[in-house]
Amino acid sequence: MNFLINLFIPLTISGLAMGVIYALMAMGLMLLIRAIGVLNFAQGDLLMFGAYLTYCLKDQLKLPLLIMWISAFLLFAVFGAIFMFSVYYPMRDTTWRQTFTITTIAASFILKDSVQLIWGTNPISVKPLIAGSVKIFGTKIAIQYLLIIGIAAVIIWAVFVIFEKLYAGRMMQAATQDKYAAEIIGIPTMITTLITYMIVVVIAGTAGYMVAPIFFVNPTLGTLQLSAFAGVILGGFGNLKGAVVGSIIIGLIQSYSTLITTTYKDTIVFLVIILVLIFRPQGIFLGSKISDKA
Amino acid sequence: MMLQIRNLHAYYGAIEALTGIDADIPDGSICCIIGSNGAGKTTLLKSISGMIKRTGSIKWNDTNLINAKPREVAKLGITHVPEGRHIFPGLTVYQNLESGTISWHGFFGNKPFQNDIETVYELFPRLREREKQLGWSLSGGEQQMLAVGRGIMARPKLLMLDEPSMGLAPVIVEELFKKIVEINKQQGITILLIEQNARLALEISDYAYVLEHGMITLHDTADKVRSNPKVLEAYLGKFASHGAEML
Repeated sequence: MNFLINLFIPLTISGLAMGVIYALMAMGLMLLIRAIGVLNFAQGDLLMFGAYLTYCLKDQLKLPLLIMWISAFLLFAVFGAIFMFSVYYPMRDTTWRQTFTITTIAASFILKDSVQLIWGTNPISVKPLIAGSVKIFGTKIAIQYLLIIGIAAVIIWAVFVIFEKLYAGRMMQAATQDKYAAEIIGIPTMITTLITYMIVVVIAGTAGYMVAPIFFVNPTLGTLQLSAFAGVILGGFGNLKGAVVGSIIIGLIQSYSTLITTTYKDTIVFLVIILVLIFRPQGIFLGSKISDKA
Repeated sequence: MMLQIRNLHAYYGAIEALTGIDADIPDGSICCIIGSNGAGKTTLLKSISGMIKRTGSIKWNDTNLINAKPREVAKLGITHVPEGRHIFPGLTVYQNLESGTISWHGFFGNKPFQNDIETVYELFPRLREREKQLGWSLSGGEQQMLAVGRGIMARPKLLMLDEPSMGLAPVIVEELFKKIVEINKQQGITILLIEQNARLALEISDYAYVLEHGMITLHDTADKVRSNPKVLEAYLGKFASHGAEML
């Protein structure tokens, strides 16, 4: 019994921690899909960029924690605007919607290569915010995992609050649901798109900051986005809450599958996705897409 | 004279959809534009609200709207209720109405609009009952009421309605048209109405324009247009002179 608990609790905690990271990325993906219909292939690279940028602010520039947080937040927001004005704005009048997807693939390459040019290709290790571990039911858990879960929960909650409770957030929702109607009644759709991009980059960058101590900071951090894609598919395309829950499930599946195999844990995740796509392509949640019903 | 349109041309890419429109929408009136499918009725509204490329002159009091963006037109008090309702499916009835205030509320603003909501609820009591329901779950008639209600939330001086009767049961259409007259008479909002149901539109309008192939072919008071033999034949049907009495 003790043996099982000792195994189960750490796996659940690390699975949850990775799950919420995927959830943050999936949320960003979903926000862009809903706002402009773009599947952002640079999502993982934005996370990686966030890891490098926060490493630079914290360990290279040695800024105090609070100032580092604020400047990271502002830099992410500014970078979100730059991202929007480079991968979306110049192409906004295109009639071929896939253009935007292709520009995000380009952005992914550019991000990866510029990060390597600036910081080199060697993996960099970063100290966790609070080192050490706590004992839960007699099992040692690294505090960083708990921090990730806590901070991610706050961010996910904050995004829902922005979209539900603020007037501007509801206008942003309106703009994503019917852009034509939004424009006709006078919602500034370019501003809502810009804010969406800023939120997406802030979320992705923060996720990068949080995973940095667990993985090394390295250019391949971007591949984490594959699991976020999986979470989006599991939750059902177009469903923000579904994407969050789906991603957490993916994190847990990945973590538990290490009981059987560590080499093939990603394979198991994608096996699940293939099964979902075959038997329930609309995602595991009911009523996944509002716009289908309108 | 409120809205004065002169020599208006509108384009979809290289295709010219309106070929020189002249029209006047007097203050406080109900004007209707009738015409068959593809005559350019919707295009005319889109070119007023800035949703399409156009040339010529559209004078709104002393402002020329010809280069105005949709947002600027909305801010000046011209509200376009688009064809096919276009309510926000994932927002509640209340939130849909709230979104109508954007033109004067401002994106980051914080101005009260509870009185406006009350006005709409009094006009369409069904919307109050459905307050917390999501837009997609409403019936067609309720969605159209919501679309018109959202338009009123913008505090318009000119309300442009594009095919409000589309896809609705005759009983509901009749109720809706009574409300349109009520909006015009009680709130003093000028109404520009586009309708395929020419008989009904002419019944409530003061002035009428007939649009054919992107051109105005006839304009007069609604009564005169209604008794015009050409209109009778083309838009009201052979027996329309009898049918009109049904209303």
